Amino acid sequence: MTFIEGSVRQRSFLSSRLVVWAVLTLSAVFFLVPIIWLMVTTFDTGQIFTWLENSALYSGAGVLIAVTLGIPAGYGLATIEFIGRRTLLIGTMIAMLIPSNALALPLFLGVNAFHMLGSPLAVILPYGLFPFGVYIAYLFFDTPRIHGLLAAARVDGCTEWQVFRRVVLPLSTPIVGLIVALDFIASWTNYFLPWVMYAEFNITGRFPLALGIAQQLMPGSTSGDFYQNIQLQLALPPSAEALLLLLSAAPVILVLLIAQRWIVSGRLQGVFD
Amino acid sequence: MGHSVRTGRARPAGLRRRSRAGYLFVGGYVALLVLVGIAPAAYALKLAFTSFAGRFTGFTNFINTYHDFRFIPAFEHVAEFIAIWLTALIVIVIGVSLIIQTLSSRVSAVFRFLFYLPAAFAGSAGVLVWLFMLQPGLSPWDVVLSALGHRTLGASLIPSNLPVVFALIALWTGAGAWILVIHGALNNIPEDVLEAAALDGAGPVQTALRVKLPLIKKWIVYMLIVSFAAGTQLFAEPELFSQATHGILVGDAWSPNQLATTLAFQNDNFNYAAAISIDLLVIALVCASLLVFRTRLFRED
Repeated sequence: MTFIEGSVRQRSFLSSRLVVWAVLTLSAVFFLVPIIWLMVTTFDTGQIFTWLENSALYSGAGVLIAVTLGIPAGYGLATIEFIGRRTLLIGTMIAMLIPSNALALPLFLGVNAFHMLGSPLAVILPYGLFPFGVYIAYLFFDTPRIHGLLAAARVDGCTEWQVFRRVVLPLSTPIVGLIVALDFIASWTNYFLPWVMYAEFNITGRFPLALGIAQQLMPGSTSGDFYQNIQLQLALPPSAEALLLLLSAAPVILVLLIAQRWIVSGRLQGVFD
Repeated sequence: MGHSVRTGRARPAGLRRRSRAGYLFVGGYVALLVLVGIAPAAYALKLAFTSFAGRFTGFTNFINTYHDFRFIPAFEHVAEFIAIWLTALIVIVIGVSLIIQTLSSRVSAVFRFLFYLPAAFAGSAGVLVWLFMLQPGLSPWDVVLSALGHRTLGASLIPSNLPVVFALIALWTGAGAWILVIHGALNNIPEDVLEAAALDGAGPVQTALRVKLPLIKKWIVYMLIVSFAAGTQLFAEPELFSQATHGILVGDAWSPNQLATTLAFQNDNFNYAAAISIDLLVIALVCASLLVFRTRLFRED
């Protein structure tokens, strides 16, 4: 079974699924806000809001860029012959296999050279680059079924842009869901990139949740001079810290629950064909 | 499943117009790829081959960082960590995937989701979770810790334990995703192959070892190479452990990435830092190229 066949079957009840998830999200807000408030008041300052806001901004904007650039790119690679296409495709496959940490320090050096330290773009733009999403979109659009649809639309006199808007975009939901889920998880949990950009120069106003969590960790207490006696020391009582960890994991778990089907089929598509 | 019908492609008529449309569709992505991928890597490459004053110095930065007393130990540390981690990955991921396959699809889906769940704690959150797990008095594994004779966090974090501890964290947050992949690979094995094996009198264990594993070999290779490349990049775990132990039990140059940031931020030597990040980038590029050009995992056309 190919991805596209599965997705077309899914589409019929996709809108009803969206309604279901909208209702669930709204009720989750109602039920969870008081609990989050309890959690927030445990932290004396409004820091946790800053971290949450920053995490949401970086991941949200990054995911938005990844989708708006990745879908057209995958589509272009799959359906249009242009000079450099094969090179770009192989470059994309290599780029998606390079661990994101490998570019963190070079990115810092570049950002530093342009005197842009402390800019939110220093992490948003790298989060927006998601070559795996481009490759998945390429696989999705490079099927006989899609090629047939496109040929028909062109015979009917559609321009390339109209083909993309009227035919391709409405079919892209599973790919959008997949890119959103995987890029969100990767960027929300990223530690090294925001660390090189903000932690070293203590730009606390830009800290995402991942750095805020790390800040909870105090140099351990020792009794005597023996390093073996070091004990864990945290900024707050363990119960509050545990709550903070759950808060940071909650959005990822939510995304996993919503997008599980797409993630599984997509991960497999990325590897199997 | 080779799709080779190319109805919408490469007709000479209108090729130029088509080609222009192609550039419009990929343009934004290519611009970003250059801006935050190729350009920073090229700039790091330039820094790695020049002195502070900007003069070309050949391999001097690479040689000098190689002779730094922390360089070889940092690579040895991650090598030891990777060896333990990859061994555990192979045993656990393949073992669990084979066993999960024998369950009903609903039960198996629940287990796969449960194993994937800790991925939500990747990064600093997972490191904190495991500091909790290793702190006697807080840990749910207190019995195990006291059986091992560990009464303090420091006792668990003695240098010889660190690769094992880091492997535990990496497994906890990372194995679930690989179970999804290997499970999928196993499910892709055609039914008639397994029936033939059963007809030939192969038991479940023999089928698993002699039939299933050879058939999913390339996905196991994929898992190992990707995990190897990711392992060389280890940063958050040793960095946070260093923070928790005053930099005594775990130093600020335990892993190569830590050494690179220490050189950049403590010694203000961006050229040395760039040299080490190029070392690591070359390792990552070699791994990625191996996968793209030597295995037939990814389809280009």
